[in-house]
Parts: sequence; C-alpha cells; structure tokens
Amino acid sequence: MEYVNFNIYERYPRFFNRSWEIKRKKRRGWLIHKIKNPETTGEHIFHLAILVWVLGKIKKINLERAIKIALIHDLCEIYAPDFTSYDTAALKEKGKITIKDILKIQPTPGRPTTTQRKKMEKIKQKLEMRAMKRLISKLPADLRKEINNLWLDYENTLTSEGRFVKQADKIINLFQGLEYWKKYGKIQHKLWIRRAKEVLDDPTLLEFVSALEKKFFRK
Amino acid sequence: MIEEKKFYLTKQGLEKIKKEHQGLKGLKFAKTKGEIPKIWHSEDINPEYLSFQEDLSFLETRIVELENILKNVELIKPPLKEKQNIINLGARVMVKVDGQTDEFEIVGSLEANPSLGKISNESPVGKALLGHRAGEEVIISSPIRTVYKIKKIKYRII
Repeated sequence: MEYVNFNIYERYPRFFNRSWEIKRKKRRGWLIHKIKNPETTGEHIFHLAILVWVLGKIKKINLERAIKIALIHDLCEIYAPDFTSYDTAALKEKGKITIKDILKIQPTPGRPTTTQRKKMEKIKQKLEMRAMKRLISKLPADLRKEINNLWLDYENTLTSEGRFVKQADKIINLFQGLEYWKKYGKIQHKLWIRRAKEVLDDPTLLEFVSALEKKFFRK
Repeated sequence: MIEEKKFYLTKQGLEKIKKEHQGLKGLKFAKTKGEIPKIWHSEDINPEYLSFQEDLSFLETRIVELENILKNVELIKPPLKEKQNIINLGARVMVKVDGQTDEFEIVGSLEANPSLGKISNESPVGKALLGHRAGEEVIISSPIRTVYKIKKIKYRII
C-alpha cells in the first residue's frame, strides 16, 4: 500500500507538462508524406477517443476502460520515436526514406521480411516500454499501475477493449489518410483501403469502414 | 465485457494461452499470500505478465477472459491431405495482389497479427479466401477492386 502524503498533487505537474507536448508533436507518418500542417499526436488521440466512445457504445464494451486506453495509447511518444509502418521498409533500404519510396511500398512480407518486422517490433516495444516507464515514474503508484496496465493491454491486445482500440486506431489513421488524400492526393489510398480489409475483423468497426468508403468514394 | 463466441487457436496459440492462464493463476495465488516473484521485476520478461504484476482486479479480469477462451476454444488442425489444396483456417496462402507476391496465414481473431502476415478469418480478405483453391481468384470490390490470385496453399505440420 502506498504511503499517503499531503503533497501528492506535487507529483502531477511534471506529468501534465510532459503529456501536453503531445499536443504539438506532429505525426511522423504525415511528415514523411510531406503533408502541410499535419495532425499532431494529441489530435489523433482526441479523434480516436471520440471514435472509441461512439462505436464502443454500439459494441457494448467497457467504455471507461476503452476510452482510457485510447487516451494513453500513444503517450509514450513523448520519449519514444513515433514509429510508422514505413520504418520496416526503411530498415531494409538502410537509408533515408523519401515520399517516392513510400508510394512504391507494398505491404508484402517479402519486403521487408518477417524477421525484419519482428526485429523492428522488438526495438519498438523496448523503446516504448522504457518511455512509458519514464513518463509515469513519478506518479502515485495506483495511477502509475493503471496507466501501465492499460497501455500493455493496448500493446498486447489482452482484453476486448484493448483489441477494439487497437483496431479503431487503424481506422482513425485510415480516416485521416483519406482526408489528406482528398485534399492533397499524396496518400496511397488504394493500398490503405486494401490493408484495412486485411487487418480489421471487428464487425462494428468494419461497418464504420463501409460508411467511410461511402463518404469518400461515392460517385 | 466478455465475448461469447468460438475462439479458433493454433496449437502454439492454445499452449500460449494455457501457459499464461497457469502463470496468472500462480501469480494470483502468490499475491493473495503477499509474495511477488522477483522474476517479474525484470524488463525482459513477457509484458503480458508484467502488466498484472501488482493489479489484482486486472489480473482477475484477464484470468476470467482466458477461462472464457479456454472454454470456447476450437483447435485449428490441418485438413486431410486430399483437402489441403483448399484454403481453411491455418492455411498459409501465397497470393499475387497488385502485381506483387504476398503471403498470409489465416488464423483466428486472437492470433491475428497483420504486420507478421497473420490475418484473421473474420477479416474481409481472410473470410473471402476461405474455401478457395490455388489458381483461383478472389475479388474484393468494395470500393476499390482488388484481385487476389491464389498461387500456393500450405499447411503447417503439427
């Protein structure tokens, strides 16, 4: 049991100061695509939390848990790099990745290999775990444990809520990607739609994808 | 909330779930006695265990979830040899899509890991591939028309 002291609130400002940085951090995936004034991680989190709330209500999951997972799922990016799905390809290319390269990338295991993907996943997991520990280290023990558990649930898709948020995260990226495609045309929209049909399996979220398709591809 | 449905798992997936279930039950027992195994303080251990280190309610939630999976599990077995030319759960499928070769393993929702090529049998592509044979084409046409040409089907020997 944690020792309760009267200065417990003194532990929060540092956490909030650091967390607020996420409002300014521009998402790397969009920067790679050279999107002007791209979405920040904070904006992405807000958008995801709303989506999880609205669709999670239909899905009848534990909304409190799911929204909390959405709120903290990318907080580790304060101290860890914002990894993108293009990084594995970059790892293979061993060089700086350009927008031209990205537009050529196809999601095949042959490029990069499964071993390379696993290697990248391991690096990502290690750096993000360290970053999360650092961020929450000064928080009171109960809050620290809660954030850590919610984040690990998301990362390892341990519960229905963790699984739902993980897939919802992909949809919110697809949504934003389609918005940019419509506005700037720099996004491989066909590939993104194709990937969505491969990676998503939640019926509620798939219904939402159909609605997105109608919005963006209605003739 | 617990999902009431059938969970398809590979032999390895089922072993992993059983191992986690046993481990967590052991951890719960140790915790209720006030003992935390020192090994769980290491960063290198399975993060799934790490997450339950000090949170008894979450530990219990996960144990209930695992028990529900074990109660409703259906093991993915390779089909008979004469049916191994048809895509079923557990198949590793080589396809040609958009001019490139891609490979998927069709697994149950719990084991799906698209970044490693493991796609769920409940995903639109996974679902559409089921029941097809090498040489056939599977078309996903909403709203972008994508053709998956099936090149090869393999099953893992268990």
